[in-house]
Amino acid sequence: MKDRKTTHFGYQEVPVDEKAGRVADVFHSVAARYDVMNDLMSGGIHRLWKRFTIEMSGARAGQTILDIAGGTGDLTARFSRIVGPEGQVVLADINESMLKVGRDRLLDRGIAGNVVPVQADAQYLPFPDNTFDCITIAFGLRNVTDKDLALRSMLRVLKPGGRLLVLEFSKPESKLLEKVYDQYSFRLLPFMGKLVANDADSYRYLAESIRMHPDQETLKQMMADAGFVDCEYHNMTGGVVALHKGIKP
Amino acid sequence: MDPTFRAGFDAALETAINAALRYDPGTRARLAKLDGRALALDITVPPVPLVLCIEGDQVSVRHYWDGEISTRLRGSAIAMLRLLRDGDATPAGLDVTVTGSSALLAELQSILQDLDIDWEAPLARLLGDVPAHTIGSALRTAGQWLRDSIEQAPQAAAEAVSEEWRLTPPRAQFEAFVEDVAELALATDRLEARVALLREKLAARGGN
Repeated sequence: MKDRKTTHFGYQEVPVDEKAGRVADVFHSVAARYDVMNDLMSGGIHRLWKRFTIEMSGARAGQTILDIAGGTGDLTARFSRIVGPEGQVVLADINESMLKVGRDRLLDRGIAGNVVPVQADAQYLPFPDNTFDCITIAFGLRNVTDKDLALRSMLRVLKPGGRLLVLEFSKPESKLLEKVYDQYSFRLLPFMGKLVANDADSYRYLAESIRMHPDQETLKQMMADAGFVDCEYHNMTGGVVALHKGIKP
Repeated sequence: MDPTFRAGFDAALETAINAALRYDPGTRARLAKLDGRALALDITVPPVPLVLCIEGDQVSVRHYWDGEISTRLRGSAIAMLRLLRDGDATPAGLDVTVTGSSALLAELQSILQDLDIDWEAPLARLLGDVPAHTIGSALRTAGQWLRDSIEQAPQAAAEAVSEEWRLTPPRAQFEAFVEDVAELALATDRLEARVALLREKLAARGGN
């Protein structure tokens, strides 16, 4: 019998073709309370991480922006205001439930006209080459099965000179912070998930997937290997989160 | 500084500015005419560089800005605040360096001097018109008293030091003393000259 290729799903090894489905199940489960949980889990700091991402994007009026794994539309809402009626923001997410929550939430806030929701897989982005001025992926890359493939796909659809911003959990700079963070992630996080969303397993997966995600230097090298130039990263909150930036040559 | 803290500072400042603007529609309308302009403040004391971008009728506070800067100011925070709030203040007088368009600076100075925030409106929404007006009047009186006190503070402090605590002489007494000293100096000079003259005469007689 031929061996099936595997990849990680949190701390588990699963067949490659199963990961996307299992990640989808997690996000179907948490979509409705995703925002509440984000605020609760990060103490609202995720808004500051996203704010810094917006600043580093250098987005301007009239530009075309792709917000991959845009989830509930936090970044899209801000980009929509910046690019204005002449620009366009594509809110992309592989997960139908998350996309629906995001689209409805944007409409409820009166954000429409220059926002297009698209259900899309980051590994196979359904857009022509050289389409976007900027691509952001916030807390999404770690859930992608083949990250190298996704990075190359993003490079393809970026315009030359366009920038990719990857906002993702990373490795804390201090050992002490890492220990505190571990206790928080593996004890408190699933407990809060159980309490608020009645779903401890999904939040345990989130904590595990964060630990399995490449650290700052590894991800920077992966971006360079995919073809990005001027790759750099900024640690935030002591390295709990890092923002990586790369330019399409 | 960790970008998280910096983003928190920018977010707080931006929220405060836009919350204040919400209650001054006139200023918002004038700001909207400057849509897309960016004012860079290279604050040297404390060292907090920031960029104020005008987006529609709102102000966005940024740390990083790749776009065009219309006007750049460099100086201390207090000097910049005085420059923006005081129509008579000049950049040179406050040691503030200006590069780029001075028209934007002049327009912002004019907008900030006319800033008239209706603080009663949010209070009225919370407490009702009558309590809001009572609180508003009390706050206005207190504000005026505070402004007057700040204006008179240097003179009051000088009077207290000289008249009340007698740590320094009163100005008039000091000036009279200075005049006396000057007169004494002149008289001493004259005396010295006369003595020198007498010495010369005596020397001349001794020589004969």
